[in-house]
Amino acid sequence: MPLTRLLRTSSFRLTLLYAALFGVSVLVLFAVIYVTTAGYMARQLDRGIDSEITALQEAAQPGGTPRLASLIEERQAETSQSGTVYLLQDSEGRKLAGDLRFRRATIGWFDLRGRSRASEGGDPHRIRVRGVKLTDGGYLLVGQDASQLDEVREIIVRSFLWSAAATVVLALAGGMLMSAGILRRVGSVARASQAITAGDLSQRIPGRGAGDEFDQLADALNTMVARIETLMLGLKQVSNDVAHDLRTPLSRLRQRLEATLRGAPSVEEYRALVGRSIGDMDEILQTFTAMLRIAEIEAASRQAAFAELNLSELLATVLEVYEPLAEEKSQVLTSRVKPRLMVRGDRELLTQLMANLVQNALRHTPAQSRITVEARQGEGAAEVAIADDGPGIPAAERDKVFQRFYRLEASRSTPGSGLGLSLVGAIAQLHGIMIELSDNAPGLRVLLRFPRAVAAAG
Amino acid sequence: MKILLIEDDVETGEYLGRGLTEEGHVIDRAVTGRDGLFLAGSEPYDLLIVDRMLPGSDGLAIVKAVRGAGIETPVLFLTTRSSIEDRVAGLEAGGDDYLVKPFAFAELVARINALGRRPRNASLEKVIRVADLELDLAGRSVRRAGKRIELQPREYRLLEYLVRHAGQVVTRTMLLEHVWDFHFDPQTSVVEVHISRLRSKIDRGFGSELIQTVRGVGYCFRAAD
Repeated sequence: MPLTRLLRTSSFRLTLLYAALFGVSVLVLFAVIYVTTAGYMARQLDRGIDSEITALQEAAQPGGTPRLASLIEERQAETSQSGTVYLLQDSEGRKLAGDLRFRRATIGWFDLRGRSRASEGGDPHRIRVRGVKLTDGGYLLVGQDASQLDEVREIIVRSFLWSAAATVVLALAGGMLMSAGILRRVGSVARASQAITAGDLSQRIPGRGAGDEFDQLADALNTMVARIETLMLGLKQVSNDVAHDLRTPLSRLRQRLEATLRGAPSVEEYRALVGRSIGDMDEILQTFTAMLRIAEIEAASRQAAFAELNLSELLATVLEVYEPLAEEKSQVLTSRVKPRLMVRGDRELLTQLMANLVQNALRHTPAQSRITVEARQGEGAAEVAIADDGPGIPAAERDKVFQRFYRLEASRSTPGSGLGLSLVGAIAQLHGIMIELSDNAPGLRVLLRFPRAVAAAG
Repeated sequence: MKILLIEDDVETGEYLGRGLTEEGHVIDRAVTGRDGLFLAGSEPYDLLIVDRMLPGSDGLAIVKAVRGAGIETPVLFLTTRSSIEDRVAGLEAGGDDYLVKPFAFAELVARINALGRRPRNASLEKVIRVADLELDLAGRSVRRAGKRIELQPREYRLLEYLVRHAGQVVTRTMLLEHVWDFHFDPQTSVVEVHISRLRSKIDRGFGSELIQTVRGVGYCFRAAD
């Protein structure tokens, strides 16, 4: 993985941002520690100097300056390792006592570089000094070695620099590691997507199964791909169907037109030919319309038009349309439909579904057959059963009847495009209706179970 | 009838124009939506025939604009789009009827006649008389030559549609759509069977037939010549 790609990732940039934020907060923390610790120590130092000056002046009260000088000598002798330095000058600037080399005494707080007895022979370092003017015009200077305070300050600054460096290194390393991990997962998503784009719709985006955000993304994308695959398969199916079921009648039509043209037909023959050709054309268009309708339904773009509707009334209309047809064939079409069965769906499509099923029953059963349509409130949802006592469908073939153009051997002679039941299947799927085909002993029983969404209205 | 035909396909336009002129209509043709809109606004027409797919503008937009301008002329959509959504959108935009290409010319003629000769105050009528048949819309009863005829509700509805369009040719699809709300082709002789049932009650034994079959097209309710 090239480094530049790693550094360009959003996770790396995010890490850098966090590292910067973290660095700033560490800086603030250290600044607070520095100011409070070093400030406290500096105040302690100053207080020590103040109290030494007070103590010296108080102790020398009765003796004046000479007493002060001897006191300083004493202290220096007592504490050879002390970091305290002294200087006593008279009003003329002559040194009376002390070990501080300083030409002209100054009043107030100041720093100077030098050595205390505690650090004899070492490098000169900072000494904190306070000078006061004595009542007789002389000067007293007391200083304290500030090297400890400076060391502490240095330790704080150094530890801050070290931890800052460690933070930056860790942030960079962590960011790169994290980015590499994310890049790897994004890479696998991208590779799978490329394969899918290239046409392999059976490809799926791998997940780690950890249920993390990448798995969620993979799941969502996989659902999308699965949907696209279904649609593409549907499309492929439609084009296959077009090739299969439209080419045959179209070539038949063409042959007939050609054959007529080759002969020397009379005007009457021409008329008959054109009439028959238009009839053929209409049949082809019907098949075409049915296929488009199935594709439209399978694309599931119609759910938006769903509304609550009275299934009982819808069934009544369908039965009304087909009753005379049954009577014509001496078939008996009876119904037991409970009133006010409410379902959610598309009125037009459900009408077509019911019409197709009733029509199928009428078409594939002989004269004197009984066809019964029942509708009732099942377990929480409406149920419609259409049963006949005709030849039925062999158990082995029941699954296949919803495929496009599938026709039972026995029904080849009866009219129909072979699309009726696949249209039924598509409409049922769109509405979430379960279809069960069973043996009516004898005959076929088609049971439609509506989804349990809308309860029966009053 | 004076008809404005807005159709971008020249061949279809010429064919329809010629056919409708032969039927006795006066046809103005527009190839683009803009021309169509201009014509529809500048001259009184009895009917607009609008192709849904026009270059530059959708037929829907044109009909919306026409309706927006307060023109209440009936509109018949011609379209290659057969989906339910498209039809619903067409009718919602202000179309009165919707015919999917390709169609039989006779189907177009029948629908044009049904749209154009719509009686203005049909809902106010209480009784319609055709020849010796009398349809009482309020009482939903039928008499022929003074004799009361008992009809089932489904037979009455079919008869009412035929009588309301008396003298016009109505096609199978028009009956399926308007009498039973079937917007698909059931591919069976449903309509024929219903008509023959109705005939056996309305025409049998009365000497003359009122329900005429128009071969290859549909039916026409009128007194036999």
